[in-house]
Amino acid sequence: MKVAFYPGCTIQTDQIGYEASVRNIMPKLNTELIDMEGASCCGFSPFSSFNEAAWYYSSARNMAIAERMNLPMLTLCNGCHLSFTETKHVLTKDQVMKAKINEKISREGLIYSGCLELIHVFELFHDKLGEDKIKHVVTKPLTGLKFGAHPGCHAIRPSKLIRPDDSENPKKLDEMIQWLGAETMDYPGKIDCCGSSLASTSGKTVMEMAGEKLKNVKNLGLDGLVTTCPFCFKIFDNRQRAIQSVIRDTSIEIPVFYYTQLLGLAIGLKPEILGLDLNQSPIDAVISRIGGL
Amino acid sequence: MKPVLVIGGGIAGIQASLDLADRGINVHLVEKTPSIGGVMAQLDKTFPTMDCSICILAPKMIECLRHHNITIHTQSEVIGLQGNVGDFFVKVLEHPRSVDAKKCTGCGLCSEKCPVKRPSDFQAGLGQRKAIYLAFPQAVPLTATIDRDACLWFTKGVCKTCEKICPANAVNYEQIENTIDLNVSSIIVATGFEQYNPKGIGEYGYGRYKNVLTALEFERLVCASGPTSGILNRPSDGGIAHNIAFIQCVGSRTQTNGYSYCSSSCCMYATKEAVLIKEHEPSSHVTIYYMDLRTFGKGFQGFVDRAQSYWGVKYVRGRPGEIIEDPNTKNLTILYENTEVGKVEKDLVDMVILCTAAVPHRDNEKLSSVLDLRLDEFGFFDTKDPITAPIETNMQGIYVCGSCHGPRDIPESVAEASATAAKSAEDEFRFMVNK
Repeated sequence: MKVAFYPGCTIQTDQIGYEASVRNIMPKLNTELIDMEGASCCGFSPFSSFNEAAWYYSSARNMAIAERMNLPMLTLCNGCHLSFTETKHVLTKDQVMKAKINEKISREGLIYSGCLELIHVFELFHDKLGEDKIKHVVTKPLTGLKFGAHPGCHAIRPSKLIRPDDSENPKKLDEMIQWLGAETMDYPGKIDCCGSSLASTSGKTVMEMAGEKLKNVKNLGLDGLVTTCPFCFKIFDNRQRAIQSVIRDTSIEIPVFYYTQLLGLAIGLKPEILGLDLNQSPIDAVISRIGGL
Repeated sequence: MKPVLVIGGGIAGIQASLDLADRGINVHLVEKTPSIGGVMAQLDKTFPTMDCSICILAPKMIECLRHHNITIHTQSEVIGLQGNVGDFFVKVLEHPRSVDAKKCTGCGLCSEKCPVKRPSDFQAGLGQRKAIYLAFPQAVPLTATIDRDACLWFTKGVCKTCEKICPANAVNYEQIENTIDLNVSSIIVATGFEQYNPKGIGEYGYGRYKNVLTALEFERLVCASGPTSGILNRPSDGGIAHNIAFIQCVGSRTQTNGYSYCSSSCCMYATKEAVLIKEHEPSSHVTIYYMDLRTFGKGFQGFVDRAQSYWGVKYVRGRPGEIIEDPNTKNLTILYENTEVGKVEKDLVDMVILCTAAVPHRDNEKLSSVLDLRLDEFGFFDTKDPITAPIETNMQGIYVCGSCHGPRDIPESVAEASATAAKSAEDEFRFMVNK
């Protein structure tokens, strides 16, 4: 399978470990990532709250690039995926806006038609590749480990738009982890927000929200938290020390992984090429249990 | 004189049949399940008087059975209609019971020995019944029936234990379905409602969280003839629930998942169930989360006042947004906005009861096409005029009563049943006088 690969800015500027893991596991799964020439930010975070036209322009422009490549587009970030889905939804109804955007992007020789197939990470692993293909490549099953899945809000909400998983009882990420040989468990607050969208306005609130979740994971004795969203990962992994100090609980030591990192370990890849040295949460014990170190 | 057809053997159908029969009019009472009684037979108590539900209903059920003017057809459905008021020709399909009603004494020996278990409809799925079973202890007729989809003889061609054990030789695997033709003067539709399935509201976790029950399930749990003999053992661990919350308007008064109408009886049955918990164990904590308290009937407000002041039931105005289960203890945290004080709060409870809406029965569509009746926007039977002809339909000579045309409580269903009986009697004399 070939896909137009849209990593998004957060991953390219900040979460390169995620990108490394994706680029290194895909050949094993016979999926070819084709880079998108001239791709930019999806426009969601910088524009959506004050200039809708700029947001739709940014999203539609990227989708037009993928349309020109005549390939479905894989997005790694929950936020980008929602941004594209929502833009598609709006431009189907708002033909005036669509014409206005097409006029702008036609200067670059691009046309947005709205026919692009968007692929979320869940859809790629769960629906397209599926249980058989993933189990087939697993050589080092993660037996004996028990994780909590964090799908992240934008993967499941708003429920009125088509999202990759159910808004109240998401199960796809859990199943994907189980296919690697590990167990999963529903923990309180599984579908709660990580808080990252409040990061620019109320940092303390973010830490408290994320802290609540990490506490629940810790209380259940889970071996770690698994996500596919770079924003969620940033909070739970990169900011875990800050969370500890805000909620005054240094006992919170939760290993946090990208799903693709675990998949890479399960198919026997070295931790270095999966970007695991960039994870800031205490992951070493888990990796040595898998036998990666 | 011609008989009258009553479709549905719940409290409304029973009342309409008895009223007509007492006037000397013959009645054919058609019921789809193995016993008459309907939902009222499943209830523990009735509001606002806290009478035992089956104690009021069972004498009426027996009266139907013994009345010379009433013929009961159970496991039957109406499949065809022709003619007009005064001269309807009705086809009724009787499904086989596989038990001879004339011989069966209702001793229950067959179900005792039957090896196949299935969830019991009467116990709202909380208890089990066998493949050959009596619907419930007070069933009318008190005749066993075989669930052919579960029975080993019908599915695999083995067993026949019930035939061997039956002292009355009543088991008859050879029974076939039977169509009967009736010529009736008028028809009363009293097919009732069904419960909204709260799985549609994912945030309440029904089906995922063991200790989230519907009100009808709770009604069986709290009932002395229920699966736990009335002890409030919560499903997850059998521990006795002491801190219980009710959530109102589940599937009703909503613009998203469910129906926009008020389900009419939930404020009152929640209050009744709350009082039952307090009667069982006065130290229990009971909270009812409501949007508005709709206590419009006779004696209703007094009942709620007493639940608050005497029994200490707590009422919180707020519609919970989410229920979270603790994976270890299976206790439940309810998140809600208390709209009386404008604060987002949470409560930890042992068990949550969802007061689910009464929704149109799934068979309404089929029956409406057989009888040529109109359905309203929700799927309930439509009436000719909501103000001046609230029990008449678009078909002259066909009447509706009870919750088949909108959510109703028992007193209203009974009053409507008597009203339809009066209308049917009127037809009988107006159209039949010279025949």
